[in-house]
Amino acid sequence: MGEVILTMKDIDKSFPGVHALDHVDLEVRKGEVLALMGENGAGKSTLMKVLTGIYKKDSGTITYEGKEVEFANTKEAQDAGIVIVHQELNMLGHLTVAQNIFIGREFKKGIRIDDKKMNDEARKLFQRLNIDIDPRETMSRLTVGKQQMCEIAKAISHDAKVIVFDEPSAALTETEIQELFKIIRDLREKNMGIVYISHRMDEIKVITDRVTVMRDGTYVGTLITKDSTKDDIINMMVGRVIYEDPKTQSMVPKDAPVVLKVENLNAGKMVQDVSFELHKGEILGFSGLMGAGRTETARALFGADPIDSGNIYINGSKVTINNPQDAVKNGIGYLSEDRKRYGIVVQKTVAENTTMATLENYMSGIFIDKKKEKEVAEKYVESLATKTPDVDQLVVNLSGGNQQKVVIAKWLTRDCDILIFDEPTRGIDVGAKSEIYKLMNKLAADGKAIIMISSEMTEILRMSDRIVVMCEGRKTGELDISEATQENIMNLATREIE
Amino acid sequence: MKKKVLAVLLSGCMAAGLLAGCGGKKEEASDKSADTKTEDTKEGSDKGGDYNFEVVVKSFQSSYWQAAVQGIKQAEEELGVKTNTTGPNAESDIADQVNMLNNAINKNPDGIALSACDQNSVLDSLQSALDKKIPVVCFDSGVPDAPEGSVYATVVTNNGAAGAIAADHIYETVKDKIANAKKPVRVGEVNQDATSANITERGLGFINRFKELAEKDGKKVAVIGNDYFVGKVENNGDEKSADVIIEVAVPAQTTVELCATEASNIMNKDDTIAMFGSNQVSAEGVLTANQNLSVLGSDPEKNIIAAGFDAGKTIKAAVKDGTLLGAVTQSPLMQGKLSIETLYKICQGETVEDIETDGYWYDSTNMEEADISPNLYD
Amino acid sequence: MANNTTKTAGRNRSVIDRLGGQKFIVLLVVIALFIFFCALSPNFRKYTTFLSILDYSYYITLMAIGVAFPLMTAGVDLSIGTGLICYSLVGGYLITFQGWPTWAGILASIVFGMAIGVLNGCLVALMDLPPFLATLCTCMITRGLGSIIVGRVGISWPAAGTEGGWFRSIFKIQMNGMNIPIGFLWIIIIVIIMTFVLNHTKIGRYTLAIGSNKEATRLSGVNVKFYHIFAYVISGFFAGLAAISYSAIFATVQPGSGAGFELEAIGGAIIGGVSMSGGAGSITGTLAGVFVICLLKTGLPFIGLAANWQQIITGLVLIAAVLVDILKRKKDQA
Repeated sequence: MGEVILTMKDIDKSFPGVHALDHVDLEVRKGEVLALMGENGAGKSTLMKVLTGIYKKDSGTITYEGKEVEFANTKEAQDAGIVIVHQELNMLGHLTVAQNIFIGREFKKGIRIDDKKMNDEARKLFQRLNIDIDPRETMSRLTVGKQQMCEIAKAISHDAKVIVFDEPSAALTETEIQELFKIIRDLREKNMGIVYISHRMDEIKVITDRVTVMRDGTYVGTLITKDSTKDDIINMMVGRVIYEDPKTQSMVPKDAPVVLKVENLNAGKMVQDVSFELHKGEILGFSGLMGAGRTETARALFGADPIDSGNIYINGSKVTINNPQDAVKNGIGYLSEDRKRYGIVVQKTVAENTTMATLENYMSGIFIDKKKEKEVAEKYVESLATKTPDVDQLVVNLSGGNQQKVVIAKWLTRDCDILIFDEPTRGIDVGAKSEIYKLMNKLAADGKAIIMISSEMTEILRMSDRIVVMCEGRKTGELDISEATQENIMNLATREIE
Repeated sequence: MKKKVLAVLLSGCMAAGLLAGCGGKKEEASDKSADTKTEDTKEGSDKGGDYNFEVVVKSFQSSYWQAAVQGIKQAEEELGVKTNTTGPNAESDIADQVNMLNNAINKNPDGIALSACDQNSVLDSLQSALDKKIPVVCFDSGVPDAPEGSVYATVVTNNGAAGAIAADHIYETVKDKIANAKKPVRVGEVNQDATSANITERGLGFINRFKELAEKDGKKVAVIGNDYFVGKVENNGDEKSADVIIEVAVPAQTTVELCATEASNIMNKDDTIAMFGSNQVSAEGVLTANQNLSVLGSDPEKNIIAAGFDAGKTIKAAVKDGTLLGAVTQSPLMQGKLSIETLYKICQGETVEDIETDGYWYDSTNMEEADISPNLYD
Repeated sequence: MANNTTKTAGRNRSVIDRLGGQKFIVLLVVIALFIFFCALSPNFRKYTTFLSILDYSYYITLMAIGVAFPLMTAGVDLSIGTGLICYSLVGGYLITFQGWPTWAGILASIVFGMAIGVLNGCLVALMDLPPFLATLCTCMITRGLGSIIVGRVGISWPAAGTEGGWFRSIFKIQMNGMNIPIGFLWIIIIVIIMTFVLNHTKIGRYTLAIGSNKEATRLSGVNVKFYHIFAYVISGFFAGLAAISYSAIFATVQPGSGAGFELEAIGGAIIGGVSMSGGAGSITGTLAGVFVICLLKTGLPFIGLAANWQQIITGLVLIAAVLVDILKRKKDQA
C-alpha cells in the first residue's frame, strides 16, 4: 500500500435546511482500492461532488499530491487527474467508441477531425486495459458492461491518478463484474488511487483494501477490509441514535382482514417474484437500498408500468390492473416519490389537483361544478391543515409538505382503501414530516391499508407495523415490527443473491 | 421497434406525397416508359401515329390548365399520338417541376411539350434533352435562354399585347373621366407575382399601353408601387405632378386573400377610377375585395372600372353581370393543341416556327360567340 | 412558511395578471395597432376595411381556436392549413359535381376534418409519434389527398344568390344595402363556448393537465389517451369549420394551396398566450392574437409598406410573444 495521494479533511457543506457534510475526512492512497460506504443519503455522492468541484465546500481542505487544491469544475479536476466513472453512463449513443472517448478534445488535422488518430489512440488505451472493443463501433451497440469499460478507458485517457467508481456494478451482469474487477486490480497494480462506492457487501470484501463508512453526513470511521466482518461494517453504517421512538409492536389487530394480496409479481428486471399481503389498518413498510425494486413494485401494482406475470387479489377477489385507471377503480391510490413529476400538476391550482382523480363527482351535466370543487378542496385543506392562502393558489407556490398534503387529499377524495406512499417525506422539512406521520397513523386507524416505501431507516422503524425488505428486485425478507432492528433490516437489504 | 414503425409511417407519407405530385396517371406513365425502351430510334419518319409525347405543365391549380389539357387531348385524338401529362401541385413548386421534367426526359419520349414555371431552373434539363436529341416545344411561357437547338419552337400568348388589350378597353371607357378630371386619378393593377415572365409581360403591357394612351391625350403619368414594375417603366413621371397615377401591387404570397388585401387597399382610395387583375388569382382578388367595397361597376362616373384576365366561374359571372368591364382570355386550348401538333411536325421532319396566339377581349356582349366561348373554361 | 406562500402568491398577482395577463397585453396591442393604422392611413378608417379584416380573419381564427387545444397538450397540429383546403375541396366537390345539397357538403367537410383529427390523435397518443412529425405527415397527406379527390381542379362553392349559395350569408348578410359581418357574432359565440369548454368541462381541464404534466395526470387514473386524442379531434373539427368560412369568403379554392395557413393560426394562438410547452392558454387570448396577425396583414399595405414587411413584422411580434411566455415560465419556476 503506497503513499497518500489525496486527503480530504474537515469537509463541511450545508444546503438550505440540510447539513449534508459534517466535517468529513477521506484519505486515498496510491495503489489501493478504498470502499466508500453508507446508507442512502449518507453523503457519499455529495462528498465526491465536492471533490470534483461540482459543489463548493463551505470549509475544510483538499490536499492532492501534496498541494492544497480546489477545483472549480469537473474539467479542472479531470485535468489534474481526478475522474469519476458515473453510475449513469454519459455516453452519446450515435457516436463511435473513439469519438465518445475523445469528445471535447478531438484530434485535428487542419480543420478536419482526425478520426484515424482517435481510433488508434483508443485502441492503445484498450490494449493497456486488456479490453477487446473496436473503437469504430457505434456506442449504442455495445452492452452496458462494454459501455462501462469505455467510460473507464475515457477516464484513464485523462491521465487519471485517482478514479472514483460510483456504483459501477449496478447495471452489470456477473461476468461483466468479474471483468470490471480485473481492470480495477490492473489499475491498482499501476499505482492509481481508486475510490469504489457500492452497496454490495460481497463486492466490498472481494475488491477493496480499506472501507470508509459515512452516516448522516458524518465520517464514522475506516476499517481494513480483510480484518473486518460484514457485521462490523453494517454496525458502523446504521449505528445512529434514533431520536424518535420506533414502534415496538404492531397496531394491527390479529384478525384484520387481508385487503391486498400479491402473488409472484414480475415486472421487468426490477420486480421478480414479489409476494406479500396487506391488512386492513396496517402500515406495511418497504425497506431496501436504492435500486432494490420497491418503487418498481409499487408502480407495477398501480398499473403505471406493465406487469409481466403474477396475481393481485383485492378483498379476496382477483383483479386485473393494466393501467392506473384500473388501479384507481379498485381503490388503490399512489403517492409518487417524485411529486413534481408524477404526483401533482404544479401549474394548476390546489382545487384542480385535489379533484384530479375524482372529477366526475363534481360535475353537473357536462360542466364542472366549480363551487362544489372548491368546497371539497377547502374541506381537505382544513382537515389536513394544508397551508395555502386559498384553494385557487397554484400548487407550485406551496412548500413540499403542503404539496404532499394536496396529493394525499387527491386520493382521500377518491376514498381509496389502499394507499401507496412512496418516500412520503422526501424533501419535506422536519416539522412537516411529523404532521405527515400523524396523518398516516390516523388514516391507518381509520381502516385504510398503507404501503410505505422509505429509504429512511428511522421512518421505517417508526411507522411500520410490518416490514418487507427488498434487494435487487426480490423480496429478501419480512419482519414484524417487534423483531425488526436496523441491523437485521440492513442485513436483508444487502443480502447476496445466490 | 418504435423506430421501425416510424420509418414505415414516414415512407408511407412520402409515398402519398409523391402520388399527389405525380397525379393519377402514374401507371400509364410507367407502361409507356417500357414501350419507349423497345423503340429507341425516333429519327425514322415512317412510325406514323406511334409517337409518345411527354407534357409538363405548370400546375393543375387553375382551370386554365384544364383547358390546355383538353386541347392536348384533342390533338392526341386527331393525330393518333400518345401523350402523358404531369405537373406540380402549385406554380411555385419549381423544384418539383424540374424533377418531373427530368423524369420525362429519362423516359426517352419522341418529344416534350413544356410550360416552365421558372425560366432559369430548366436550363440544365433542356441541355440533357438536347444531348439525347429529344425535341422540346415550349408553350404558355418561353425559355429565352434555352441552350441553342434544344427548344424547336415556342407557343405563347403575346402577353404584352394581351395586357395592352385590357388597357385599350379600360382607357376607352374612362377616357372622358380622365380628360375632365380636376384632380389626379389613380389606376390600380394587381399582379400575383413579379417573377414569372407571363405575369410581368402582361402587367407591363397594360402599364405601357395605358401610359402611352394617356400621354397621347396630353396627360402626365406616374407609375408607383412594386419596385420591379416601376423599374421597368421608361420615362416614368413624377407622382406629385402626375395627372394619372398607375399603382402596381404585388402581394407577399400568391394567395387570393393577399391579392384581395392589396386590391382593397387601392380600391379604397377616393381617386381610383380603374383596376386590372393580371391573372385569374389576382382578378378574383379584386372581386373578393369588391364583396365588401361594392365599388366596381359599369358607370365610369360612379364606379371603378375593372378588367380581369383569364376565365373561371367567378370571373365569368362577374363579366356577365357587369361587375367587370370585361377580361382578356388566352387560348389555352389552342396552345395545348398547337404544341402537340408542332411536336408531331418535328417528328415528321418538317421545319417549325414559333407561334404566338392572341389574347381575346371578352365582355358580356361577346361571351357566347363561337370563337370565344371554347376558351372560357370554368 | 405560511408567510412565504402568501408572499409568492402576492407576487404572482400583478395588476396585469389580475386583468387577465398576456390576454390583456395582447388586447392592448390590438387596440394600439388599430389606432396606429387609423392614424396613418385615412383609407384604413373605413367601414369596408373593417369588413375586409373580419372577412379574412374568420378562417384563421377558427383554425387558431382549434389548434390551441393540441398546443395546450404540449403538442402541435400542422395539418390544419392544407387540411382546410382539402376539406373545402371535398365539400365543394360533393356539392358541385356530385349534386349533394349544401348542408351535406358542409357536414362532409367537418366530418372529414374530424377524421383527420382522429388520425392525428391516434398517431400521437397511441403510437407515441412526436406531434410535429405526425401532423407533418398528415399535412402532406391532406395536401395530396384533396387534389386527388377533386381531380386537381379549382373548386368554387355555389355563389351567393345562386342555388345552394345560402351558406355564404352565414358570415355576411346584406341589410338595406349595408354589409353586416354577422360571422363575427358567430366567432364571439364560439369563443364563449370554447372558453367554457376549456375552463368548465373535463375536456378542457384534462387538456391543460396533460400539457402540464401528462404522467401525473395518467397516474391520477385519468384516461389520458382519450383526452389527448380528443384535443386533436377538436383541432380537426375547427379546421373543418375554417374550411367552410374560407369557402364562403373566397371565390375559388385551389388544390395545392393552404400550406402556411397553419403558421398564422399557431402564431395567433401563441401571441394570444397559448404556451407551446403546454398547460396554459386561453381562447379569448387566441382571438386577440389572431387579430394582431390579421391587422398587420391588412394594415401594412395600407401604410404603403411592401407586402413582405408584413411577414417580417409578424415574425418579430411572434418572437416577442414567445419571449414573454418563456420569461413568465422562468419567473414561475424561480
